[in-house]
Amino acid sequence: MSYDAATPLRNEFDFELSGPWAAYWVAMLRVITGWWFVHSGMGKLLDSGLNFGAAGYLQGMSGTTMGPFATFLAGFPDLLGALVPLGETAIGLGLMFGVLVRLASFFGVMFMSLFFVGNGDFAHGMVNGDLMGLLLFITMIVFAAGRYYGLDAFIERTEFVQNRPRLKYLLG
Amino acid sequence: MTSTDADLADKLAMALSGGLLLLGVVVTGLIEALDGAPRGAAPTTNDAGEIIAQPTIDPNIRTALVVAALLVLLVYAIYRLAVPRVEARTSSSTADTQPSD
Repeated sequence: MSYDAATPLRNEFDFELSGPWAAYWVAMLRVITGWWFVHSGMGKLLDSGLNFGAAGYLQGMSGTTMGPFATFLAGFPDLLGALVPLGETAIGLGLMFGVLVRLASFFGVMFMSLFFVGNGDFAHGMVNGDLMGLLLFITMIVFAAGRYYGLDAFIERTEFVQNRPRLKYLLG
Repeated sequence: MTSTDADLADKLAMALSGGLLLLGVVVTGLIEALDGAPRGAAPTTNDAGEIIAQPTIDPNIRTALVVAALLVLLVYAIYRLAVPRVEARTSSSTADTQPSD
């Protein structure tokens, strides 16, 4: 057997996503990433209710890569005041329980993209905590993390989803 | 046994390390968040920088739980080095990967 340099995993090593440790660890990452967002959203809900002040932060992003999008969002301060804490909590709960993980992670990527650009914490280089959080959400999507010890594994087996296979792009 | 089966060592390491990790991060985090300011693991300070509220759970306890989880994984890794898995592979596929002399 010749060595396949382009795809080394085809050689003597298998990436065993069906193996116990890979599944376990994907689930662990999912739950802890979910808790990260639940904690953030729940803290805002407990402290500010549905009136979280996010507009100022977004307005301050003018001139950054995501400036046009951020300042557009800042035009809806009342909506943002409710959506930010509720959204963070919902994303986090989705990940923790493994429900609609890909959909939740999509919105997680949106949040983290804004934080990555808005915080601009590049003192130690471009790879910082915000970028790592952003990459974690993408990892959840790529590995369909909700299928490992998550409720998406059961939801995907329902007849409703079986008859609508495109839903697996939101679940899993 | 194939590498997709979890043996007792795997199950123990997963349960213990996962339990410690979730206890140190999620469970204690939930208690801290619900118990008023500070909702995180750092003290709350006023504008003058004075500490006005301490975390309910000492952050050192929480980090110790996380480090303990990592130590469990380290012990498991050392055990797995000492007692490797018995892979269900054929001898012919193994021979292909051996360097020729």
